[in-house]
Amino acid sequence: MSAVNLAIETGGIAFRNPILTASGTFGYGREFEGLTDLRALGGLVTKGISPKPRFGNATPRICETASGMLNSIGLENVGVEGFERDKLPYLRECGTRVLVNFFGATFDEYVDCGARLDALDGVDGLEMNVSCPNIKAGGIEFGTDPRVLRDLVRACRAAIRKPLWIKLTPNTSDIVALAVACAEGGADGLSIINTITGMAIDARTRRPKIATIFGGLSGPAIKPIALRMVYQVRRAGVSLPISGIGGIQDATDAIEFFLAGASTVQVGTQSFVDPDASGRIVRDLEARLAADGIHDVRELVGALVVK
Amino acid sequence: MIRGAWGRDPLLPRAFSLLAVGPGGTADILAKTVGRGTALLERALPGAEVDVLGPLGSNFPEPQADTTDLLVAGGVGLPPLYMQAAVAADRRQVARSEMIYGGRGGDDLVLLREMEAMGLNLFLTTENGAVGTKGLVTKALEARLEHHRGTPIRVMGCGPNAMLWAVARLARDKGVPCFISLEEQMACGIGVCLGCAIPARSRPYRYVCSNGPVFDAADVLDVEVTAAPVAPAACPA
Repeated sequence: MSAVNLAIETGGIAFRNPILTASGTFGYGREFEGLTDLRALGGLVTKGISPKPRFGNATPRICETASGMLNSIGLENVGVEGFERDKLPYLRECGTRVLVNFFGATFDEYVDCGARLDALDGVDGLEMNVSCPNIKAGGIEFGTDPRVLRDLVRACRAAIRKPLWIKLTPNTSDIVALAVACAEGGADGLSIINTITGMAIDARTRRPKIATIFGGLSGPAIKPIALRMVYQVRRAGVSLPISGIGGIQDATDAIEFFLAGASTVQVGTQSFVDPDASGRIVRDLEARLAADGIHDVRELVGALVVK
Repeated sequence: MIRGAWGRDPLLPRAFSLLAVGPGGTADILAKTVGRGTALLERALPGAEVDVLGPLGSNFPEPQADTTDLLVAGGVGLPPLYMQAAVAADRRQVARSEMIYGGRGGDDLVLLREMEAMGLNLFLTTENGAVGTKGLVTKALEARLEHHRGTPIRVMGCGPNAMLWAVARLARDKGVPCFISLEEQMACGIGVCLGCAIPARSRPYRYVCSNGPVFDAADVLDVEVTAAPVAPAACPA
């Protein structure tokens, strides 16, 4: 028995520890076989799944930026059928909690995709990506309008029995309004934050560095923004548990997110830098808490001292 | 993928080809400073620690006794072809390999003595004419393809992508099998970030890190990108 308790039940799921891997940075799990011990992780969140397979954006799709990177992969994925057939059998046996990230191009696609994934054995919970353009509303992201978001969450909630987390976009002036909308729609948890829309330019060629011009910024560069948003939602008293995401590189970063109000964290871009990053954070977190005489990680959640 | 103890910036590891593998788990790479990551590597002192993830990805087809391999290297693209030649030399088949090696100037051409010591036939080109034939590697390749016409040959290339496409077109036009080691921006090296996508015939996209970096040129040369369904531009991640 460990002297430190890392286990936490949150967002409708019991995790052995609060370190998860973020969608889009951990493939479908199997890619990390032999590089990290999946059984040591709290859980993993899969690449975003859509009803049909998608082949992604033109290239170049990524570029490095100051302490971070931009990506515009285009939500490439195997689709629900491909996921069930080719990816899920491994995930069922992988020994950690599995959350499946999903999205659609329309309300109906979201509901259809969520309901089909909900029915699959081996899926512990769903995480909804709402950072996609709503074609019917002129391409505005579903997740930036609180009313649209509430209705979308409500529609999915009615079709999904498993825990449903919503991954919020930071591309908003009011993250709290979005969090409240998710609570009203019946979500079980929030993942805060997705990537921040950004741009990089090659001064020599005078061209954007990625093909779609704009992309999602991730990595340590965005950590202060993510912490701020987690804390804002926590401080506003939104009842949903938060999974903190944004530039987490080590156990100290994870602790900062717990203090801000997250009950789990997701390691993203750092898995590209070090495939064992999440495993190392679990080990370091345990050692750090033991050294500091903290017996339960849950003591840290929301324990920020503000004078 | 190689990364030093650089803190948070630059963030991502850099992809390198292996130049040579020695005893006791040692390996050589060839690095040229093109940005901050490579500059930091160049400045690293003996004994400095670096994180290495690899070897990753695919390799060139093995040397064959009855086939001549025209190895076409551009500048710092030399390493995988150097290793290919070394494998051929180990098997006493180096007479069946030719290295066509080009750069902007003489300084871009390295390890010449080592390759001569392997017994490898070298055909050097420089754009400024300082060393070897003046011009691009494709000119020298064309002459060697002509020289070997009617015999079993293969072309293997590594260098800037623009050079590789020119090499691959030349090989295609002559009906010669061609394998190229491509370069693309990548973050992870293990098929996860999906940044290093290359349009391919066998699939809408293949990945330089995990399907490549070595591809049969016939699968990736002049693929119409419009054939692949493209996501709305505003949808990140």
